[in-house]
Amino acid sequence: MMCAWSELLSILPQWLRREVDALGKDSLREIRLRMNSPPELVLGGKSHWLKRRVSREDISFCVNGASRYSPWSAATAAKGYITAPGGHRIGLCGEVVCQGGAVTGLREIHSLCIRVARDHPGVAKRVEPAGSILILGAPGWGKTTLLRDLIRRCAESRPVAVIDERGELFPEGFDRGIRTDILTGCPKPQGIDMALRTMAPGWIAVDEITAREDCVALVQAVGCGVDLLATAHASGLADLRSRPVYRPLWENKVFDTVLILRKDQSFYGERVGEWN
Amino acid sequence: MELKWIGAVLVMAGCGAFGFSLAAAHRREEGLLRQLLKVISFMECELQYRLTPLPQLCRNAAKLAGGPLRALLQGLARELEFQAAPDAPSCMAAALAQVPELPKSSRAVCRQLGQTLGQFDLPGQLKGLEGAEEACRRALDVLEKGRDARLRSYQTLALCAGAALTILFL
Repeated sequence: MMCAWSELLSILPQWLRREVDALGKDSLREIRLRMNSPPELVLGGKSHWLKRRVSREDISFCVNGASRYSPWSAATAAKGYITAPGGHRIGLCGEVVCQGGAVTGLREIHSLCIRVARDHPGVAKRVEPAGSILILGAPGWGKTTLLRDLIRRCAESRPVAVIDERGELFPEGFDRGIRTDILTGCPKPQGIDMALRTMAPGWIAVDEITAREDCVALVQAVGCGVDLLATAHASGLADLRSRPVYRPLWENKVFDTVLILRKDQSFYGERVGEWN
Repeated sequence: MELKWIGAVLVMAGCGAFGFSLAAAHRREEGLLRQLLKVISFMECELQYRLTPLPQLCRNAAKLAGGPLRALLQGLARELEFQAAPDAPSCMAAALAQVPELPKSSRAVCRQLGQTLGQFDLPGQLKGLEGAEEACRRALDVLEKGRDARLRSYQTLALCAGAALTILFL
């Protein structure tokens, strides 16, 4: 298991750094900071509360540390999160600024949810890297971790173009695999189009399909003869089929195999025949 | 007798140097504000087209400046890289404290620039930089207004004062 631990510690205020380092190197999954409340550390599924209260300066320190004092340079800040060095995702909650019906930024941040990125090489070793594969699971069940390892496995046989919109899949220090090309910070539909035109990939990998445009772009990519690796938020096939946004995927039989994660981060596979 | 003349020359030279140094300081202050203007417009371009993160932006901007402004920008980049303070304005305040030789007018504009850094949205960040640029232009206008006459009078007054003192002492 690998984790960019020092990068995680570097974005925390000094007082919190020591406590987090002492408590959670192996089992820490999340750090939740809420202004004027004690920090909550989620260690292996259980909450552990620290004593000291989180101040405005502490929140500010984390956001500035993660964005190198440049939250405006993270295009995702307006979407409510930024990716810290090491691939750790920081969810932001606070007072939103809207212009013309669109969220343009956050004026004041009251809460942070820091999700620790971990790499588990070998978790996908029993997956056959053939055809298009969709990974399903609820938040925090290990979709990105499984996708990361699957990309490495697939890259042993054919080139994989990774459209990493949030820069979380392969932060510095994580093994990328031998034939992996990564397009970072690019929206999925444009990234898929760019990779198709320029990188001649065998596979295209995307993390977290959330919009209809993403699904349409995936359908088009499959039509061009590449295989896909993707993840989506759903607890199972029934859940996925009940959501209209994913309709183009199962109508066009985009995926050959679906891997469904369980809460304990184990998974099982289903062939697409059972899906339709 | 010789000593008297040597003393007279020294008094004249001292007073003259004081006047000329006042004029030079004025010119230096003006030059720094011009550099600051260049730095701010460079920052605007970098942000608009490349979204360069702040520490790197300060390092790049430092290359455009000289003297105390360069030291300030390098100091700010260091503060940001070491995450010495919770926000960008505090980092700017710490960097300003390390450059006491920066003149008052440039210091005020830099303080304002520091207050605008670290905004969440790019338009807001650019607006902040525009504000600092405007303040810099205003400070420069004040210095430039009647500059030539003022500088001449500094030098002339100093020389005259030197002459008057010399006559009195002789």
